[in-house]
Amino acid sequence: MKAVVFGPGRIGCGLAGEAFGAAGWELVFVARDRATVANLNRNGRYRVRLVDGRTAHERIVERVRAVPTSAAERVAAEVASADVVATAVGARNLPDVARALARGLAQRTAPVNVLAFENLASAGGDLQAGVNQGLCRGVRTRDGFSSVLVTRAVTHRMGDPARDELTFLGDPCEELVVSGPSLVGSLPKVPGLRVVDDLDAWFARKLYVFSAGHATTAYLGYLKGYTYIHAAIRDPEIRSAVIAAMIEGQRGLAQRYGAEVAGTTRDLDAIVKRFENAALDDLVSRVARDARRKLGASDRLVGAARLAEAAGVVPAQLALAATGALCFSDPTEPLGAVRDEIEARGLARTLADVSALGPGDPLARRVARVWRLLGREWTSDSPLVSLDELSRSPQRAPRIANEIAGLA
Amino acid sequence: MKLGIVMMRHPPTRLSPIMPGVVELLIEWGAEVETIYPEERVTGLSTLDVRNDLYVLKSGSELGLSLGGALHAAGAATLNPYPVAAMCRDKVIATRILQRAGIPTPETYATAQPGELAPLLDDGPLVVKPYRGTQGRGVHVVWDSDQLDGLSIGDGLIFAQRYHEPDGRDRKIYCIGGHIFGVKRVWPARTYADKLGQPFTITPELRDIALGCGRAFGIEVYGLDVIESGGRPIVVDISIFPGFKGVPDAALRLADYIYAAGRRVLSGEPAIPAAAPNAEGELIA
Repeated sequence: MKAVVFGPGRIGCGLAGEAFGAAGWELVFVARDRATVANLNRNGRYRVRLVDGRTAHERIVERVRAVPTSAAERVAAEVASADVVATAVGARNLPDVARALARGLAQRTAPVNVLAFENLASAGGDLQAGVNQGLCRGVRTRDGFSSVLVTRAVTHRMGDPARDELTFLGDPCEELVVSGPSLVGSLPKVPGLRVVDDLDAWFARKLYVFSAGHATTAYLGYLKGYTYIHAAIRDPEIRSAVIAAMIEGQRGLAQRYGAEVAGTTRDLDAIVKRFENAALDDLVSRVARDARRKLGASDRLVGAARLAEAAGVVPAQLALAATGALCFSDPTEPLGAVRDEIEARGLARTLADVSALGPGDPLARRVARVWRLLGREWTSDSPLVSLDELSRSPQRAPRIANEIAGLA
Repeated sequence: MKLGIVMMRHPPTRLSPIMPGVVELLIEWGAEVETIYPEERVTGLSTLDVRNDLYVLKSGSELGLSLGGALHAAGAATLNPYPVAAMCRDKVIATRILQRAGIPTPETYATAQPGELAPLLDDGPLVVKPYRGTQGRGVHVVWDSDQLDGLSIGDGLIFAQRYHEPDGRDRKIYCIGGHIFGVKRVWPARTYADKLGQPFTITPELRDIALGCGRAFGIEVYGLDVIESGGRPIVVDISIFPGFKGVPDAALRLADYIYAAGRRVLSGEPAIPAAAPNAEGELIA
């Protein structure tokens, strides 16, 4: 059995490749970077180190080779003979991959499943549409396409491709969720693979619980001056706020998708433990990066808050985290800090543009209130010493306080 | 990550919970931490070598400082490098560096003869301190020349600063990794509650002064003693690794900073990212 994986990066190698490798499959990576291609062909393997903060397990992924993207015919031949195809290239690179895929898929006699490990609910559909465009006019792909919901964080690639055997560092979560209705035939037996009917709901769960909690840890950690996620989550105030934010998200999900998708407080406990994992060396600045996108109307903070509001829950902690995102500034921000835009255009217009929040919106008013308080207390070199004043809300439901007390 | 922390054990009556908390967190995060108490052992200098990726000089004792110097000479990476620790320990040197960096300090004098200070009292009282003193020990306010006669010279040098009537409680300003925290305290602090003081919001002027002090020495972990007199802040002392009492979550913040410094060293970077030339183009750290 052979899996062809586009993109031997952190997720491509550290998750997709590792999962297929664990099932005993041969792995062929398609890569732009010639040094990485040479490395994988020279070594024929790489390592994945899975750490949970207390224990570490190293897995060696063998039977590995690689083909450069520039060798279009070879790539097409590999796709034509693959038992499964996966991508982990980043959403903006999907159109290029779709063209390469179309060439290979056109040579196949039997359909194959294409799994998009892109952390994007629409990636499978986008890839399918791109492949259709790349096929001859009037021909449509018969292959299966699904986005893959991944839970593992793969934070680092270690080693110089020119010299060392590559090692990827991640946490041990194995769950891979795919959409049953959009795939063809039977799926390969891969550890952790779970097939669901409503993949969008599971993406919403990850975004509005795990990602919302991760972002809350990062933005509140930023306000309080921490460097690492594992340090920020040890701050009792941040920990409580993160749990409360995730509960707000869960309540919204429960109303919209039902209790199974929303998950339980035990799930939250497991998520907090993942944030505590110091072995991942996960930086606050890395998780907080790209604040503009993360403040989007349907993204992890504002989207979760909207869902909570629809369920009658006041999203106090999500609003606090969103305000932290407004403050975040880092030289690597792709479009500049949202804070700079607020200084230039004002809070109301910025919230309208970035998060589609009108000035009369309760969520916008809540964010504006915290923003005003922060303006008096916070600068990037004089961090908050307490969230207390910012997060105090008479409307916080007692049930949330009780649930936090049970977890924190 | 291997960390060596040079410490001094305090008597059980003196509450100092921060460093045990720091060590506990660093171990929890996977670091190997060697706590070194130089006063409790004999150190063979010929066998003293660099066994850790990063050292932290927490102890302000003479032996601790010397051990830090010996490790520095052997090439150890140190969070608060020996040359800076030694300069901060000597108030004559530290004050001059602060003055040259444009930090507001009192008029300051050094002499070996107490009587030489007498003419200065015409312009007002002086605060006399041991030039290598810490924790407010041996500090006297001298109002007239009679008091100079009974002054203990200690180790042969008198360090004197012009006394400025404080507007209120003393200000302790702490810096951890470029982040500034303010604590108001009564002086002298007698109880543990006195030492914890109360947090206050740092003004932009104080922030600039505090960050300027760090830049002057090329360090990111330090404490400042500041008085406000006539509405004007004046820095009267700097310490390179104070107790951080009163800083909320100080142990967690310090552990986070030390862990990050250790990671930088393991990546081949300097322990202190700010270890750039100071305001005068000198690389101190």
